[in-house]
Amino acid sequence: MATTSLSRRLLLPVLILVVTVLSAVVVFGEGSKSSTSSSPVLIASTVNSANAQTILSNAIPPAAYQTGRANSGAANSSLKVFSNGKLVAYGNKNITYVAPPSSLNTIGEALYMQNCASCHGNNADGVPANGTPGAYPNLRGLGPATIDFWIETGRMPAADPTSVQAPSRIARLNSNQAVAIAAWINSLAPATPYIPIVHNVSGADHAAGFDLFALNCAACHTITGGGDMLAKGTYAPTLRNVAPTQIVEAIRTGPGNMPRFTGNLTDAQVRDIVAYVSNNIEHPANPGGIGLGGLGPVGEGFVALAVGMGVLLLIAFWIGDRA
Amino acid sequence: MSAEQRTPVSFSVAKADDPHMQPKARNPKRTEALLALVMLLGIASLIGFIVAYFMNAESWIMGAFMGAGALLLGFGITAWGKYLMPQGPFVEERHRMSGTPDQRARFKAAVVQRGGGILGRRKVLAGLAAAGMGIFGLLALVPVIRSFGPLPENTLGVTQWKRGTKLVDSTGRGIHVNDVAVGGVVTVFPEGMVNTDNGQAVDQTILIRLTTQDFTTRPGRESWGPAGYVAYSKLCTHLGCPVGLYEQQLQLLVCPCHQSMFNVANGAEPTFGPAPRPLPQLALYVDDEGYLRAQAPYDQPVGPGYWTRS
Repeated sequence: MATTSLSRRLLLPVLILVVTVLSAVVVFGEGSKSSTSSSPVLIASTVNSANAQTILSNAIPPAAYQTGRANSGAANSSLKVFSNGKLVAYGNKNITYVAPPSSLNTIGEALYMQNCASCHGNNADGVPANGTPGAYPNLRGLGPATIDFWIETGRMPAADPTSVQAPSRIARLNSNQAVAIAAWINSLAPATPYIPIVHNVSGADHAAGFDLFALNCAACHTITGGGDMLAKGTYAPTLRNVAPTQIVEAIRTGPGNMPRFTGNLTDAQVRDIVAYVSNNIEHPANPGGIGLGGLGPVGEGFVALAVGMGVLLLIAFWIGDRA
Repeated sequence: MSAEQRTPVSFSVAKADDPHMQPKARNPKRTEALLALVMLLGIASLIGFIVAYFMNAESWIMGAFMGAGALLLGFGITAWGKYLMPQGPFVEERHRMSGTPDQRARFKAAVVQRGGGILGRRKVLAGLAAAGMGIFGLLALVPVIRSFGPLPENTLGVTQWKRGTKLVDSTGRGIHVNDVAVGGVVTVFPEGMVNTDNGQAVDQTILIRLTTQDFTTRPGRESWGPAGYVAYSKLCTHLGCPVGLYEQQLQLLVCPCHQSMFNVANGAEPTFGPAPRPLPQLALYVDDEGYLRAQAPYDQPVGPGYWTRS
């Protein structure tokens, strides 16, 4: 009789605890990355330029899409390789920037027409919406690194061209296809930065990388690299699961709302940041056991309060229950 | 009849075979053995903590041993009380708290008659004690008279930025006009002030390149943004957080603390959030060697408001 009343009294707190733990798992559980992996390559063919106009009339103000700049990254470096009078590679022992081979131009054009042209136009110079130029950005003169970054992180082709910010997804086009498209666009309007190759990441200075990360990256991406929300529906994405090449491309080209870091970060410093991000950010030490997504004191406090207080509540119930 | 429905008895008069004296456990021997096992495990965990400590084990291992030890011992002791002790309920009569009438009369006599006589015997000491207590009350006035310190004068209104001060990054490197691409951003300090004790927190300034042309953020600032470089104080005018989140397409600086947003193309006018004023802009020029320098100090105090500036 006493045992039934005990279990009846414990029912509510146990229920509360289970619900809080489950909600914590849902909120903080890792691996909830969106992955819609259907219809590769041909995705953009369903959006022809006619209905792109319709989509755009409902879109947010075009200003959010405009980059308003051409990447004119200066190729000042110790190593420069020319072929037929064209700069095909530059860099140093830390990072080499290589132009996509012009032999890929033809296949790159075909892939571009299939996947990109419906929004960015047949000449890669952007599509005006309702007479406003630049609703979809002009891709000329941005440099192969920019094109490669957007395609290889799965942000382009965009699943929802009207969204405020294209999310990182499983890439629709593989690495070779991305380089081919970059090659064709670069043949229209040659520009730097080229596609970077990072050398000897294990030899970089992690501590210096942390200092540079804290100074230049952590303001938006947070000190744990978990990412955070920003203004007007934009956000800084998480830095976990980003390849070294894409880290350099992001730093050197400033995709989307991210600022661009050029002359004030040397290639050696960028390599230090790559080492810190691909080691310490992607594999955090988590001395407490569970990282809880590295979301900061609010999330951690929630778990401590809900789970910790829930358990203490159950123990208090048990101790206080009259035998 | 369950324990809750029984009439409480006095523990001192309860017989050994009274139901009040029986433990709750149905099989006390087995419960005792079980609790002994639990406590042994607890002791083993605590010994494990000592061993782990001397083996320089990781802190979570030591914490796990310590926590398990405390938890198991606590469970054992609580369960002992709940299941093996007489389950009662018992009452205990409170004994009489006041003294007898005779005791009270003698105490009163001692205080009223002898006490007054004892104090009256030392008139000087009594007077000094009273004076001391009075002066003690005056101590409250001392901070008003002396300890509020000198007035801050205008130290809150000035920074280390002077006419001609060179802009340097956190490593002390100057910023050449060709260094930063359009859409780039650097946190800059006055040259010579990096890693010193002189107010770097209030000096920190965010340098943004908006375009390659000279940029005017508002009328009267035509010469302030050479080659598209604009510089704003990095201290939020709300509570002084570093406004370091620059969004190059939206042309917004976002404060991480309370989401104030400043339009960098428009003199950092706040467009959202609690910030009351625009971020002060630092007027720049390019020197003969191509490095960026400040035309003049900030034309207004940086950071949040204070008592003479709201």
